Amino acid sequence: MVWKKSDDPPSPQPQPTPAPRPMAASPAPSPSPAPAASEPPRRPSERATIGPSIFIKGDLSGEEDLIIEGRVEGKVDLKQNNVTVGQNGRVKADVIGKVVVVEGEVDGNVFAREQAILRQSGAIRGNITAPRVILEDGSRFKGSIDMEPPKEMGGSGPARHEPSREANSNRSEAAGVKATA
Amino acid sequence: MSWFSPRGSGPRKEQGRVQVEVEPDVHRSLALAALCEEIRRRKLTVLDLGSAVGSNVEFLSQYGCKLFIEDLYAALSARTPGDGGDLASSSFFGEFLSVPEDTRFDVVLAWDLFDYLQRKELAAFAEQLRNYTNRGALIFALISYHKTIPAQPYRFRIKDEQHLIYERRTGAERPSPRLAPAEVTNLLKGFRVDRSFLLKHGIQEYLLVRE
Repeated sequence: MVWKKSDDPPSPQPQPTPAPRPMAASPAPSPSPAPAASEPPRRPSERATIGPSIFIKGDLSGEEDLIIEGRVEGKVDLKQNNVTVGQNGRVKADVIGKVVVVEGEVDGNVFAREQAILRQSGAIRGNITAPRVILEDGSRFKGSIDMEPPKEMGGSGPARHEPSREANSNRSEAAGVKATA
Repeated sequence: MSWFSPRGSGPRKEQGRVQVEVEPDVHRSLALAALCEEIRRRKLTVLDLGSAVGSNVEFLSQYGCKLFIEDLYAALSARTPGDGGDLASSSFFGEFLSVPEDTRFDVVLAWDLFDYLQRKELAAFAEQLRNYTNRGALIFALISYHKTIPAQPYRFRIKDEQHLIYERRTGAERPSPRLAPAEVTNLLKGFRVDRSFLLKHGIQEYLLVRE
C-alpha cells in the first residue's frame, strides 16, 4: 500500500485550492496507481498521502494534492497541485508544485508556481524558486531563493507579493506576473 | 539533519553560557535606507551571511532579488579546531558558499559579522569575497563601538527600509574588537568605504563598495 486517500484538511493550507487542471506533460513515471476506468472522477478536495512508513525511490507525478509523511528519493512533480512535506516527511530530490509547504526535510530544489512555505519545523537544503517565499522563524535553510516564477513551469504564477511604495514603479518585471488560479 | 548545524549553535568559544530572551531593539538604519535605494534599481543577487529570517526574505522579495542565505557565523562555530576549516582556506569558503562558480553577488549582508571575526579572518574573508563579487558590489556591515558585544551576533530583522530590529540571542557578553574605520579599510582590501553612518546607539554602519 503506497497511497492513502484522505479528505482531511492538511495542516498547512495557505489558501483555497482550486480544482486541479490537467498537466501539460507528465515527464516522470509515477508509482501512484492510475485510477481505474470505472472509478468516479476525483473531487478537487481529494489529496493523496504517503504515510510515514512508506519509502518511495523514483519520481512522482500526478494531478492531485500530495502530503508526504514518508521518505521519497526521486523528483516530486505536481506542477498544478499543492505538495506538503509533512513533519515526518523526507524528500531527497527536487519538489515541484503550485504551493509547496515544507514541514519536514527536503534535500533538493523547490519550485513553486505560486508560493513556497518553509515551516518552523522544516528544513531545506537547496534552492527555492517561487514568486513568493515564506520562511518561518526557526526553520533551517541553506541555499538560494529566487523570487521569480520558474521558467520550466510556464512562468504564469499568481500575483506576487506587492512591492511597496516606489519600488513598485521600478520593477515592471515583478508586477507583470499574473495569477492564474 | 547532518547538513545543518545544530539548532542554536553556541557562540564560538563561549559555550556553556545560559541563553536568555531579551527584548528586541528597533534602531534607525541609514545604511539600509541607502542600500534599498540601490537594490530598487535592478534585480540583484544578494548574499545574506546571517541566519535565515523570514521577514527579511519577505522584505527582499519586494525587490525580486535572488537571495542566497549562508550563515557564516554558524558555519564557523560548527567547525572543529584543526579541521582545516579556516576562512583563509579557499576550500572552506568554497564549501561554505556552495554556489555555482559563475555566481557573483551584488550585495552582501554581513550584518555585525565583522565584530565576530578575528582580524586575520576578516582580511581572509575580504580576499575570498573578491572572487564572488564584481566591481561595484556592496557590503552592508555594522560595527559596534561599545566595550562589549553579545557573545553571539544579533539576529537582524528588517522592519522597513529605514529600521532594523536587533534581536539578541544571548545575554552573555564578550569584548568588542572596536574596529576603527581605518582598520576596516585596511583589512578589507579591494573594498572601500562608500558610506558610513555613526548611529546614536554606538553602532557604525558601513556600505563598502568593491573596487
